[in-house]
Amino acid sequence: MNSNIWVLTSADSIAIATTLILAALGALFTERSGVLNLGIEGILLTSAISSFLAADSSGSIWLGLVVGSLVGSLLAGIHAVLSVTLRANQIVSGLALVIFGTGLANFLGKPAEGKTVTTIIEPLTFGPLSDIPVIGPVLFEHDIITYFAFALSIGSAWYLFRTRPGLELRATGDDPATVDAQGLSVAGIRIRYTLFGGLLVGLGGSWLMLAQSAAWHQAATTNGIGWIALALVVFAGWHPVRLIFGALLFGFSLQLPFTLQAEQITFIPSAFTQMLPYLATLIALIAFSRPGSKNLRGAPKALGNPFVRDER
Amino acid sequence: MTNASHEVVKGPHHSGDAAPIALSAHSITKRFPGVLANDSVDFDVRAGEVHTLLGENGAGKSTLAAMLCGLYQPDSGYMLRNGQPISLSSPRAGLQHGIAMVHQHFRLVERFTVAENVVLGSRDLSFTLKRKNIDDKVAAVAESYGLPIDPQAVVGELSVGQRQRVEIVKALYQGAEILLLDEPTAVLVPAEVEKLFENVHAMTAAGKSIVFISHKLGEVVEISDRVTVLRGGRVTGHVSGRGSTDTKELARLMVGRDINLSTQRASHATGHEVLQIRELSLASEGVDILSNISFNVHEGEMVGIAGVAGNGQRELADTIAGLISPTSGTISIGGAMTTDRGPIAARELGLAYVPEDRLGMGLVPSMSILDNLLLTRDRRIVVDRASVRPEANRLIEQFEIKANNADHIARKLSGGNAQKVLLARELSGGRTVTKLLVVCSPTRGLDVGAIETVRRLLDDARSAGQAILLISEDLDEIMSLADRILVLYRGAIVHETPGESAQLATVGAAMAGLKTEGAA
Amino acid sequence: MRAPFRIIFEQRSETPRYLAAFVPLMSVLAALVAGGIFLMASGYSASETYSNMLSDGFLSSRGITDTLGLSTVLICTGLCAAFAFQMNLYNIGGEGQVYLGMLGGAWAGLALGPRLPSVIAVPTVLLIGAAAGALWIFIPAFVRARLGTSEIVSTLLLTYIAASVLNHFVYTPNSYFRAPNVTFPMGRAVSESAQLTPLGGTRMYPTFFIVVALALFLYWVVKRTEFGYRIQVISDSPRAAHYAGVNARRTTMQVMLISGALAGFGGATLIVGEFGKLDQGILLLGYGYAGIVIAALARNNFAAIIVSGILFSGLRVGGDKLQITTETPIHIGVMLQGAILLFALGGEAFRRYRIRAVRIQAVAQ
Repeated sequence: MNSNIWVLTSADSIAIATTLILAALGALFTERSGVLNLGIEGILLTSAISSFLAADSSGSIWLGLVVGSLVGSLLAGIHAVLSVTLRANQIVSGLALVIFGTGLANFLGKPAEGKTVTTIIEPLTFGPLSDIPVIGPVLFEHDIITYFAFALSIGSAWYLFRTRPGLELRATGDDPATVDAQGLSVAGIRIRYTLFGGLLVGLGGSWLMLAQSAAWHQAATTNGIGWIALALVVFAGWHPVRLIFGALLFGFSLQLPFTLQAEQITFIPSAFTQMLPYLATLIALIAFSRPGSKNLRGAPKALGNPFVRDER
Repeated sequence: MTNASHEVVKGPHHSGDAAPIALSAHSITKRFPGVLANDSVDFDVRAGEVHTLLGENGAGKSTLAAMLCGLYQPDSGYMLRNGQPISLSSPRAGLQHGIAMVHQHFRLVERFTVAENVVLGSRDLSFTLKRKNIDDKVAAVAESYGLPIDPQAVVGELSVGQRQRVEIVKALYQGAEILLLDEPTAVLVPAEVEKLFENVHAMTAAGKSIVFISHKLGEVVEISDRVTVLRGGRVTGHVSGRGSTDTKELARLMVGRDINLSTQRASHATGHEVLQIRELSLASEGVDILSNISFNVHEGEMVGIAGVAGNGQRELADTIAGLISPTSGTISIGGAMTTDRGPIAARELGLAYVPEDRLGMGLVPSMSILDNLLLTRDRRIVVDRASVRPEANRLIEQFEIKANNADHIARKLSGGNAQKVLLARELSGGRTVTKLLVVCSPTRGLDVGAIETVRRLLDDARSAGQAILLISEDLDEIMSLADRILVLYRGAIVHETPGESAQLATVGAAMAGLKTEGAA
Repeated sequence: MRAPFRIIFEQRSETPRYLAAFVPLMSVLAALVAGGIFLMASGYSASETYSNMLSDGFLSSRGITDTLGLSTVLICTGLCAAFAFQMNLYNIGGEGQVYLGMLGGAWAGLALGPRLPSVIAVPTVLLIGAAAGALWIFIPAFVRARLGTSEIVSTLLLTYIAASVLNHFVYTPNSYFRAPNVTFPMGRAVSESAQLTPLGGTRMYPTFFIVVALALFLYWVVKRTEFGYRIQVISDSPRAAHYAGVNARRTTMQVMLISGALAGFGGATLIVGEFGKLDQGILLLGYGYAGIVIAALARNNFAAIIVSGILFSGLRVGGDKLQITTETPIHIGVMLQGAILLFALGGEAFRRYRIRAVRIQAVAQ
């Protein structure tokens, strides 16, 4: 077996983890405010194609990332208006966003079919660090967005647990009535973090498109990564740093089918390797549930419940 | 002041004339869909005094308080703070004017520490939280009013009395000059009430104004400098002067007629044992909830379980009703074991259960009265509603339930009527004739008229020979109704006394966990 | 004060009857208007697109029978979603359960079909398809009932797994389900005894009537039986259910299994009907996802699902024909589905609340 392939697999797992981390962090911020946004998959897809179109027409990959992120925020805004302002069922609203986003992305993607991204995001170089065998290519040959995603996880933990807005955010997800009684606007906080969450998911989708897949493959571009990100938040106990470990694990399971194909390992049916990430997520999801799972460590207590001030 | 209002001024004790009026509200009107909650109400409070808002549930006192602190906005009327007009668009605006509310249902995040809760929403908080700093500051504010609390304690692990203290510290930390205390004693044992009153005096001595909201006459007379009585959203009277007030007069202003809530404890012979509990223990996740409880309830006897909320009452009731399996011990109804056999088996032996949470547990809110009657009965495969309808109509009449018909949705009933539906279903039997009635806080949140009806129904059931287990945090209710009183403290029975000779002080001390000679 | 007025939501104590039908209709209209603006912005003609869709989906005799034919499976997936949703169980894996229904049905049609007369073979295919759909939801149902695992994520993940399974059986050389002696991978046709003939040269099959009867039967079950009563108690108040001794775990299992079976049944109608074989084309059609929209639009009312299912089917049929006759991309149909659902959700707010803006009054006096 070629050990080089496994170095590449590890490096690629970290790369795939980038999108997972960004999407899961987006979901985490949204959920910490008490809003459940199941529309992640739809947002990823729409921001992916938007970033492609923007990058393709302008020639700037960075503009692509910005446009993709803003589109992510825009779609999350629909969810925010429906679930926070109009107090609609958050589950159905999120699903509607998946369906709408998938249709919209495919509609927009029509002119993108058959094209590829021409410029790439340059990986950073760390001089001698990148030359260390194994560790160099695995850890020190990624682009800035990947490092940003990992740094953001750690920064988010600090923000959540060590700052005033973090305190207010956690309180809103746990006990909106208390936040309301303090004269803070529950709706304002929830809308803000739903938009911010959409921005992160949008960035993740754009990066996936521009740095990873390079060509538009319709719904297969994201292929369920949004759903895996949602499950990831549960395993991480709504803690941003713990997200990193889960993202690496699932990044690896998403990368594995390609590696096995490249290694021409055929005794495992390809159908099985293709389903591996979803199977692994499912098993982990079940393993992490306990009876009365509402009390899952870290789960915001008011998650998914619209806040209505108790007027008689 | 409206012409209809009634004024009683007790001259000599009239206090605080010298102090300026800190906050006043004039001709405040607030309407909710279908209800006129406040009808041109006038109210004011001076610096350094306790001014009580007295009224029944639904009289509009909480609504008025909510407007005074900025949680609701009045439909019409105006407010003055130190003589200057103010308009409070939110509780934050209220805080800016030094007005804070201590809610009846605490507004605290359980997972946060005391200090985190106190500083939440505070305006002068820096972007990064400097924990040591915050802890010290919170402790200092608490100390200065004689309210010791540990800033690092997690609120979810505190007792009710301690949580209330956190709420008060929070208001003081935010610079409140006027504190609105919404039914602060409802959740406290007598000893804690005394402590609270000491704190209130410390605050008024420091020049703070207290608006005290209550429906309990005794304590109102004890703590208040002035009292404003509300009924049906209107002011029905003002009374001034501490300790010199006639409680009968206040009761009449509050209810609008003379009332008599004391029931006659009929000295009737009780029959044989219906409920037998032997060495019952319950633990959950390593924590003892009930420990080694044994007692009996006889035919025609009402046994009262007194205690502060959270000492195992709800679990005791749920265990008897078969909803929870005990860790050890046995329960039998009418001589047959029901331990571990589930709620339906218990009901088939004659159990009826009125849980504390009417609309959350006892009734299905979205269902009609008719369907709710079917909840604890045998329903067949195809539900035959037509055959139950005549009985439903009969019960609506018999229990004086105010509803259009049997198709009235439970959620739309008033608290009193919902409780009557629940009692109607449980008392009328279903699977079999009711022998044992377990009833929790049956009159909580009801107005006086409904309280009278519910107590009469319980009394009738006892006279008819049913065994009744009354579990209530309302000590007055237990004292006036029960034939025998057991006190539950931390899951154990710590005191037992006959109802007739029960002493409020002794029972209250047992509820607070203080040892007494009468301990069982 | 930032804004001179506030938006007030007043809970309606009584919802006016007319709003119940008005809101879904308005949301469809609003979505069409939004879609039209989108079409025009992209350089297509909205009026032409819509009039084509309308005539191809509903107004021509060919169109209406195609619509009713397609609605057969859509009503099934709508029932699948609604049956679980009514108990606040969000089975969103109807899509995967349709695949499994197709797989189970194809197996029955291939293995048992040749030995059975048509009157037995067709029901067998349908029932085995339903059983396969139920089987596919068994694990999510079990862990939801026992451990409280979110069925939303688990059923969805299983859809991706189901797609891999289906691909495996169609693409693997020498697979039981694969047509032999054909280079292009495709499913093997089931025996003729297991296939129905379409009604009078249309693309509509008798299964349509079975599915409509099924919807009405479920309507009755929910309104009139003890099972339906139990579902209502659990969905509205789990604590009241516990109090009354209703076994919520068992009911959760039952409801989810039935939900999966309904989607599986829908997948099997494609075997006895239009497809007649395991067909990987199903992976691109999104019938299961459409069921969620259909159920939401009908507000989980089983009788109303017949109507919303047919309405949706018409939109799809019209949209598909656009693709063939004009240059308009096919995906406008899926986008409209999502938009309709979004507008329907927004419309719900108007049904439940009376929404009005009030001025924040300055200090009176």
